[in-house]
Amino acid sequence: MQDVTQSNWLKRTILRTIAITLIGLAIVGPLAGTLLWSFAEKWYWPSVLPQEIGLKYWRTSLSGRSQVMDSLWISLVIAVIVVVIVTLVSVPAGYALARYNIPWKRILLVIFLMPQAFPQLPVFINMASIFYRYNLVGTIPGVVAVHVVISLVYSIWITTAAFKSIPAVLEEAAINLGASRLRVFFRITLPLAMPGLIASSIFVFITSLDEFTGTFFVGAPFIQTLPILMYTASMGYNMQYASVIAILLTIPALLFMVLLERFLKAEYISGLGV
Amino acid sequence: MRPASSEQTPSVLRSLETQHSRGRASQSYLNGILLVLPALIVLCVLYIYPLVSSIIMSFVSDQGVGLHNYRKAIDLYWVDILYTVGITLISLAIVFVISVAIAGYLRFNRWPLLNFLYRLPLFIPFLIAGHSMRVFLAPHGILNILLTRITGIPELPGLAFNWVGLVVSFVWKQFPLATLLILGAFQSVHDSYIEAALNLGCSKFRAIWQIVLPIARPTVLVAMVLTFVSTIGCLTIPLLIGPSKPVMLPVDMSFRVTYFGDWGVANALGVISYLLVIVLSFYYLRYMVKKEET
Repeated sequence: MQDVTQSNWLKRTILRTIAITLIGLAIVGPLAGTLLWSFAEKWYWPSVLPQEIGLKYWRTSLSGRSQVMDSLWISLVIAVIVVVIVTLVSVPAGYALARYNIPWKRILLVIFLMPQAFPQLPVFINMASIFYRYNLVGTIPGVVAVHVVISLVYSIWITTAAFKSIPAVLEEAAINLGASRLRVFFRITLPLAMPGLIASSIFVFITSLDEFTGTFFVGAPFIQTLPILMYTASMGYNMQYASVIAILLTIPALLFMVLLERFLKAEYISGLGV
Repeated sequence: MRPASSEQTPSVLRSLETQHSRGRASQSYLNGILLVLPALIVLCVLYIYPLVSSIIMSFVSDQGVGLHNYRKAIDLYWVDILYTVGITLISLAIVFVISVAIAGYLRFNRWPLLNFLYRLPLFIPFLIAGHSMRVFLAPHGILNILLTRITGIPELPGLAFNWVGLVVSFVWKQFPLATLLILGAFQSVHDSYIEAALNLGCSKFRAIWQIVLPIARPTVLVAMVLTFVSTIGCLTIPLLIGPSKPVMLPVDMSFRVTYFGDWGVANALGVISYLLVIVLSFYYLRYMVKKEET
């Protein structure tokens, strides 16, 4: 009897080890390749590892006035502006969607969901042609506008969920004790919703940092954000520079994932469709 | 005396109460609208307006108003339209199998390592996924370096720049979200259903296929809709590792604008891509609105 369970256990462990190795290789392999390339100073076929490994490309990329640093600054400035605008717009909207009976709520919800339900590329193309008329193509405000509309939808859903998770009883109790609605919002609702709002801001920040397609049509070639620079490098077979930028762009996303690991519930991000 | 007053007071109170709540209700209506207004304006100006304009402009060409753009789009790109739908459906089928398998396994077994690993590509942007796959699947890429060592064959064809590489990249990027959503739905299926089936001698595989999956169907469908829409509309992965012919619709749209300045045909292709997803999009919108309203 014990033999049977023991051999079952052994079989299961072996199967699991094989499975996780294959899954691990499939998932981590492409990322590991990018990581290796960023350190490869010489890597000729068919060597398994680069012939020369070093920090050359990292050093030139991160040195004071490199193109990568210029792009990094542009990307960061845009991302911060986008976070501020999106937060200012989505917090009231999320609160209203969570708490108020709004007329035509159904139509509102549909409008807020549509960007995820349809391909976005035609919208970007037409946005570029509309922006062209107002001289917004190739400017920071133009790119900010694209990033705002892309991340606003995610942000509204996360903030709505955050406000919904706070029991309305808490607000009513404070109102019954004589506090004004505004005071209740800033003293009770907002602090309680803060984790969700911070998660939303970080998500917006990363969305803006990594956004490519909209920026490509509205910003390029004058606004070289980090993803645009990476695309140019990758298409030109500058594998090392492209990989360095890819890793720079991946680190914040992975940090966010670890941070969210505890809160990353399916129902929470079901509206995201990342 | 007493019964009369107790009859009267509540009715007075009641009318006062309804007046009060009616006043509050209309005020809360107004507040709600005011709070949502900024977001609504941003979306209408920056999303709905370009969207409507893409539909209108698809009917306008230098030959006037009509279906010229559509005729030209279908003439030039009917192969690409079929190719796009084909690639998307193949990717979708593979994503479905992988995500149901992983979610099904994790429904019955705790395995933190797998639970962590499968989520890795979730927050890797499409652009970086495309670049990484370009490095990984190229003829002299990492995968072939390993495969040639293991098999002893000196040269293997690369998977990048053909439809296999395209499908592999889409699946790699898309299965984590589908798995996450489906696993969430699987976990909310009550244990008692599964235990009843298992006690009656049903295998775990069959329990997933015939009990858990049907109960979780709405969420599974939503996961598939999101996968379908974001695959069919993705520009970066086809640009970075797709073949140069045939290409997927977003690449055609992009080239039509950047190389030919031909917005009419690009918009016609855009409307065609809306039509390809419209049934699924309606399902998704209806499901999400219903969920939000309850």
